[in-house]
Amino acid sequence: MADGSMMTGSSLPASALTRRAFSAGLLTTGLLAGSGRSLAQGTPKRGGTVRLALFQQSTGDTFDSARYDKGNDYIRGTSVYSYLTRMDEKGEAQPEVAESWEANKEATRWVFTIRKGVSFSDGAPLTTDDIIFSILRHREDKVASTAKQLIANISSVTADGPGKIVFELAQPDVDFPILIGIFQFALVKNGTYDFARPIGTGAFTVKEFQPGIRTVLVRNPNFWKQGQPYIDQFEMFPIPDASARANALLSGDVDMILELRGNGIEQVAKSSNAEVFVTPSTRYTAIQAAVDRAPSNNTDLALGLSYLIDRKRVLDTVLRGYGTIANDHPIGPASPYYNAALPQRELDVDKAKFHFGKSGIGASPIELSMGDGVLYSVDIGQLMQREAMRAGLNLQIKREPAESYWTAVAGKRPFFATNFHPRPTYNMLLNLSWKKGAVWNFSHFENERLEKLIDMTRAEFDLAKRKEQYGEIQTIIHNSGAIMIPTFLNYVDGVSKKIKGLTPLPIGSLGGFNFTDRIWLDA
Amino acid sequence: MAHFIAWRLLATLLLLFIVSLLVFWACEILPGDVAQVALGQYATPENVKALRIEMGLNQPPLQRYLQWLVGAVQGDWGRSLVTKSPVSGLLSERVANTALLAGITTLIAVPLAIALGVVMAMWNGRALDRGASIVILALSATPEFLLATLLVLLFAVNLGWLPAVAYLSTGSGLGQTARALLLPTASLVVVVTAQIARMTRAILGNILTQAYIEMAILKGVPGRRVVARHALRNAVGPIANVVALNTAYLVSGIVVVETIFAYPGLARLMIDSVQSRDLPVVQACAMIFCATYVLLILLADVMARVFDPRSLPQRPMDAI
Repeated sequence: MADGSMMTGSSLPASALTRRAFSAGLLTTGLLAGSGRSLAQGTPKRGGTVRLALFQQSTGDTFDSARYDKGNDYIRGTSVYSYLTRMDEKGEAQPEVAESWEANKEATRWVFTIRKGVSFSDGAPLTTDDIIFSILRHREDKVASTAKQLIANISSVTADGPGKIVFELAQPDVDFPILIGIFQFALVKNGTYDFARPIGTGAFTVKEFQPGIRTVLVRNPNFWKQGQPYIDQFEMFPIPDASARANALLSGDVDMILELRGNGIEQVAKSSNAEVFVTPSTRYTAIQAAVDRAPSNNTDLALGLSYLIDRKRVLDTVLRGYGTIANDHPIGPASPYYNAALPQRELDVDKAKFHFGKSGIGASPIELSMGDGVLYSVDIGQLMQREAMRAGLNLQIKREPAESYWTAVAGKRPFFATNFHPRPTYNMLLNLSWKKGAVWNFSHFENERLEKLIDMTRAEFDLAKRKEQYGEIQTIIHNSGAIMIPTFLNYVDGVSKKIKGLTPLPIGSLGGFNFTDRIWLDA
Repeated sequence: MAHFIAWRLLATLLLLFIVSLLVFWACEILPGDVAQVALGQYATPENVKALRIEMGLNQPPLQRYLQWLVGAVQGDWGRSLVTKSPVSGLLSERVANTALLAGITTLIAVPLAIALGVVMAMWNGRALDRGASIVILALSATPEFLLATLLVLLFAVNLGWLPAVAYLSTGSGLGQTARALLLPTASLVVVVTAQIARMTRAILGNILTQAYIEMAILKGVPGRRVVARHALRNAVGPIANVVALNTAYLVSGIVVVETIFAYPGLARLMIDSVQSRDLPVVQACAMIFCATYVLLILLADVMARVFDPRSLPQRPMDAI
């Protein structure tokens, strides 16, 4: 390693640059202090079967990590495959198959040292060829990958001897160790394109897989983490109806459920055998404006709308308190990057009237496209509609069908609701949703300064400078007239009291969808 | 009779063909194709293109339909576009589940409903009939989801006697399966029994006012014998049709019960596959539903013919 290059990874002592500053997953840090409840207690015990009820039923369930786009698949992925790194509760990358890593000082070249003795469930050893294929396959034309945008910054992946992998990046990325651990970059065998019978190096092997019906996984006795996993069998199946799901947990038919809703939350909170597992996060449902068309290219119109949102009421009645108030930009208030100097936008009919007057919209109807496919969007829209009457705006809500929402509605209508799960780093989210032509830039928003700032934060190791850059990013988005983010939504799941070892990770439900190798049953 | 059945079967084939065309056309005009829907938020032009090629959607619609038709005629339902596994494999467990639930429900509900209907028709207008009518009307007006949810709350959550979901692991024993199916079967039996019993009462009540029944009573035939030999015989045709329609409903229309009990059946699969635009699966489900309806109604018509008194060999009048 050349002088002046950066080091990190668990095997290395903390350098002048603290691990905390290094990680961009900082979105999480403060959030955990308050509400997230940890179920980690006692010494792990071996044995038993854990059953999880999913909330989405889909015959699109898959073991092909390139196609992962929902919790069902993420949980299957983290159980059967291994990853180079994993994000921890503090938002920092922790070693998994990669034992340690180091970067050059520009953060454009990353060298990962690979753990020895990791093998696939069929006995074949994991080689550097397998790892390179697992990453680069997302770039192939014939692979439709949900990670295509993320892979674009990797210019080459090569092996340096049997134990090292070298990544060359087109643009600097100080968050790279977190990026390489995302669900899509599961380690698979070189040349695998058919994942009907998945072979991984993970904690479990597949006993039965029926898409949309059930997945049964059994303990992999040769898993490279000594003594893990603790449970013998893990089963998951869908219970799409929210109250049926809560009932199944209360009656003990399942041990964990994803997404408690409505009355189910109180019922589980009251029960003697299960509890509510809350994960504070920066997941959000937003109302976006397509700024490349009328009438949504009218910034005053969008700003006026943003003053019609009673955020406190959304939090109390729609989310039942399970969330935090947001300020029309995607950075959470607990993040060290949060710009506290930016005034909090609140319900203000007078300010709304002022902006509507300036916009010249008059009595023409404005339509918000929402739907059951976007969590809580209809409820938020209805609350806005009430205030719109007071402000003299003719606001209509159009319910759109869920299944074609992302192709026919998002980005295609003037005003529409979108829902985003937090990415492991804010930079990842900003890159995917605020750059010109980016896959999730549904608003078609373009701003050179913003794009430059996004690139700068990715290349900046210094926390204070990053905070400044992120502060400006928040101001630009807050005033863009392209997005309204009323609240951040917590993940609210239900877990039996028998389950131990589960800790919340703010990037998803139930320990960030990555928990099967560390939970145990304490009957 | 054989001629009648043969003609009807031929018509069924024609109907299935027409339905398959309609389903294909409907899926084509739905917004968003299977590749776009599968990719959801990740549906970039490159991804959609890659997936379309992988799924074989780059061929013209007519060619895709013909390929499907040629396969289907030979008994090959093709492969699911979404899971890439053979449709027959995807269907097998669901068909078995649906057949099991519909079969048990029919076996319990039909005799129960007909017995109830007959009793009510015989005691038409009296306290027994009125009481039963009120209960049955109330039950048939209760939505399945309400009934099912109440049953779950009582028997699964509060009493803890039965599982809240009808989830069957592979290789579940008989006892386990029976316990899992008890609540869904009970909710369906209540709904279906109420329907059939009311129809039976109406049909039979109508027949009992006919002149030939009056004639039989005047001749001194005992009441039970009048109902059993003269009235019921004529009621078989219409009742069989009601039963057929209800059974077909149990195969294709119980998505609410399947959802509440998380029971993987055909109705739910149909909805899932329409949402994901998975045409081969939609087609297979549509064919099964259509064939079930047509064949059950054919069976009802055959029964109506067999039991039609006019089809009996002529007997001397005084045998009555």
